[in-house]
Amino acid sequence: MPWLLVLPSLVLAFAVIGYPLYEIMRLSVADVSRFGQVRGFVGWGNFSRMLADPVFVAALVRTLEWTVAVVGGTVLISMPVALVLQQDFWGRGLARTIVMLPWSVSLSMAAIVWLWSFDGNHGMVNTTLQSLGLLSGPVQWMALPQTAFPVEIAVGILVSIPFTVTIFLGGLSSIPGDIYEAAAIDGATRTQSFRLLTLPLMRGFLNIAIVLNVIYVFNSFPIIWVMTQGGPDNSTHILVTYLYELSFRLGRPGMAAAVSLAMLVIVFAFTMVYVRMQSREAA
Amino acid sequence: MKTSPFAILKGTAAALTLWALTATAPAARAETVRITAAYYSAATGPYFEKMASEFHKANPGIDVKVEVVNWDNLLQKLQTDISGGTNADISIIGTRWLLDFVKDGQAEPLDGYMSPAFTDRFIGAFLKPGEIGGKTYGLPIAASARAMYYNKDLLAKAGVASAPATWDEVVADAEKLKSQGIAGFGIQGKEIETDVYWYYALWTHGGDVVGSNGKAAFASPAGVKALTLYRSLIDKGLTQDGVTSYSRENLQDLFKQGRVAMMITAPFLINQIAKEAPNLNYGIAPVPKATQNATYAVTDSVVLFKNSKVKQAAWKFLDFLFTKDPRVEFTKGEGFLPTTKAEAADPYFTGNERLQTFVSLLPNAHFAPTVTGWEDTAKAVSDAVQSVYVGKAQPEPALKAAADQADQALGK
Amino acid sequence: MSRKTVRRSLWCWLALSPIVVLVLFPFAVMLSTAVKPIDEVLAYPPRWLPTRLAWENFADMWQAADFGTALLNSLVISILATFLAIAVALPAAYAMSRLPFRGRGLYRQFLLVTQMLSPILLVLGLFRMAAAIPLGDGTLVDTRLGVIIIYGAFNIAFAAWMLASYFATIPRDLEEAAWIDGCNRAGAVLRIFLPVAAPAIAVTAIVTFVASWNEFTVALTMLRDPSKLTLTLRVVNLVAGRYSVQWNQVMAATLLATLPVAVMFAVLQRWLVQGLTLGAVK
Repeated sequence: MPWLLVLPSLVLAFAVIGYPLYEIMRLSVADVSRFGQVRGFVGWGNFSRMLADPVFVAALVRTLEWTVAVVGGTVLISMPVALVLQQDFWGRGLARTIVMLPWSVSLSMAAIVWLWSFDGNHGMVNTTLQSLGLLSGPVQWMALPQTAFPVEIAVGILVSIPFTVTIFLGGLSSIPGDIYEAAAIDGATRTQSFRLLTLPLMRGFLNIAIVLNVIYVFNSFPIIWVMTQGGPDNSTHILVTYLYELSFRLGRPGMAAAVSLAMLVIVFAFTMVYVRMQSREAA
Repeated sequence: MKTSPFAILKGTAAALTLWALTATAPAARAETVRITAAYYSAATGPYFEKMASEFHKANPGIDVKVEVVNWDNLLQKLQTDISGGTNADISIIGTRWLLDFVKDGQAEPLDGYMSPAFTDRFIGAFLKPGEIGGKTYGLPIAASARAMYYNKDLLAKAGVASAPATWDEVVADAEKLKSQGIAGFGIQGKEIETDVYWYYALWTHGGDVVGSNGKAAFASPAGVKALTLYRSLIDKGLTQDGVTSYSRENLQDLFKQGRVAMMITAPFLINQIAKEAPNLNYGIAPVPKATQNATYAVTDSVVLFKNSKVKQAAWKFLDFLFTKDPRVEFTKGEGFLPTTKAEAADPYFTGNERLQTFVSLLPNAHFAPTVTGWEDTAKAVSDAVQSVYVGKAQPEPALKAAADQADQALGK
Repeated sequence: MSRKTVRRSLWCWLALSPIVVLVLFPFAVMLSTAVKPIDEVLAYPPRWLPTRLAWENFADMWQAADFGTALLNSLVISILATFLAIAVALPAAYAMSRLPFRGRGLYRQFLLVTQMLSPILLVLGLFRMAAAIPLGDGTLVDTRLGVIIIYGAFNIAFAAWMLASYFATIPRDLEEAAWIDGCNRAGAVLRIFLPVAAPAIAVTAIVTFVASWNEFTVALTMLRDPSKLTLTLRVVNLVAGRYSVQWNQVMAATLLATLPVAVMFAVLQRWLVQGLTLGAVK
């Protein structure tokens, strides 16, 4: 009976994800032409070329920075935002709608709008910061990795907040209100009841938020691709933008397949470790 | 009032499903030729649709279906199409991809279809890039060369009488422009053709990208000189600010607004200026020289797929596209250079002084060589020049490293 | 309204103000650019207000992007994909949270793994698969149905995972009380469980809908016929790989493409808040 309920999802997900996965594995050990024709078997050739590639190694490190910064920033901002939105205050519906708003813009479109906003010549970011006296002259934000990458991280955080806040709000609403009243009667301060009641009860939601965000952010393509295409000098590449470039720009689908398998292993390892750690703590 | 939005949605879902299924109408059974065209401008789609319907009028048995794809997505589209066996019959491709097409056995050799009279329609130099191993696989559908655009008003304001002919003059004029607060020579520093923008300096200093031995040759003294020149322009503040945030299009926008005095680009900017900045007072001059004159010439090819089931019909359409009127309309609309003799003789081109500057540069033109690893070389060079532009590396070591990287891919 | 509520409201809004500004900024940019005439778009220095309102940008863009058709396509594809995902994920989530079965842990992990791959790398395989499945005269390639199935499948994992964790917070007593009242299990699920779970289903449906609405890569690969393209595809195509970009039209397009979803959020928001607070969860 349980399997019967699970079966449709299993079949559908397996077909749509299993077959392409098999394709990636096949391509990762093959010599593949620019147009996807398999010319021969190369064994570990694609993998050894990948590991010897300095751009890959740099992108790997940068992917970790990117993921930690975006997910960390998102969770740190989303929790207080969710707590405020959980309060009963005038205009709460409007506030919730506003916070959810970035979600209604597709990631690619959001990246386009931000790219335009950060344009050194015509962008309103420079204009606004200059009129506030925060900048003395226009800044070419996308010209240097020192400015481009932090901007991309900030955009990444902003677009991840709605989803995360929603999860947190769902979690907060599942906590029965009377336990706070009881805690208040027992003389607990607000900080105490957050630390001792809210946080533990939110653990499951926090976990979902972190795991899903890590997976999404790790695989997040449009922001970096639209804003800098991994440049200048490969200095804003993360793995997913690099593999896209490998596959569809440099015409090396074989090596791209190897990179994507490496990515899969990394996320898989992360998730397993994280899930195990959480279940051990809970036990 | 227990109706949830979902109950309402559920009702419409069935109807929608039906629509999604039925609206996938089956294609007509007449002979259908499918063409994948690259997006050049807003005029591209309408042009090919018009040609398709004109052709259909003359050949009622053949339907032409056009799909216009952005350059950014074209390779991805072709890759998935080919691997799924659902590719069109004809496609426009970057000539630089042709070698892979031929190697994979995707492209049909066209020699059997081309009568001597057909071959004679073309300007010979433009047919060459489409030949591999003595056979013609691609026809030059679009061609362009590069020259320097200069803003006459800005130069006059800085007291410069005529366009600089050499790089030394460019530096001197840019100094004068700088004292007027004007960015002198624009440098492109990101996205497609970042490498090419530097080749202009490389070639005019007597260097080359790939040597006759098939190895990377750009890390030569000429190359170091060329890159040092660009670097010093940036250091002295003679270019626009933040060159690595400017793609070719960004730089062109800057030029249209009169905010950079000189830049090198293709003829299609003429059309854009006419539309978007009709009052701009500008001229076109050859690429500045150091030791010699040079420009970059590039063609896009149209290929016939080997697995096409309607090759004869497809060829008929190609033949039609390369007759005079369709050619003139295309080249005029997109702002390219004529690739056939008949269009070159059209008054639009012979009487167009600006276009003639481009045409006159063709004898000194460098084409992108048809070698494997060209794309990797372009990428390695782009990365190297970017690292120099942002001040992360010095010209010589950066070029050396890029040459090593390029050599790993060249000819493989 | 008591003074306490007023003060609390002020504090809440004050606390939210940085994020409100950051969220609204790009919308201000979109609106400002969307109504500028082309020559003012590239003017330097840029200004927020145009000298005249160039509403024709919307009409030009509507035509250039065939906006109406694309809007309809996006709606149909996203709604049906959401139904597919929820229909498949709902029973699975119920099983995961209520019926301990062998291999449940394994199933959870399988779901998680399916979430881990970026569609960008899967497109090649997806395309080959679609090209191998015949439908009517052709194959699944260039059909809305193909895109719907893929979107649905990609969202199962998230939907099942999300629903299961909400279901776990619903007290079992509710259903068990219904069994005592003489309901069978299915009846209890339908009459007691589902209404209580409605907010969770709503949240999940929204996420799935938005994910489908915003997806780019799969749509780009699968859809050919201009009359079948989705909105995201159309809008991104206005920018990517073009020799010149009409920013005012692009911003008009992003603004219009965003509106339906934004309105949906605003409308469902109320219902959601209600569901969350009035639900039998407490």
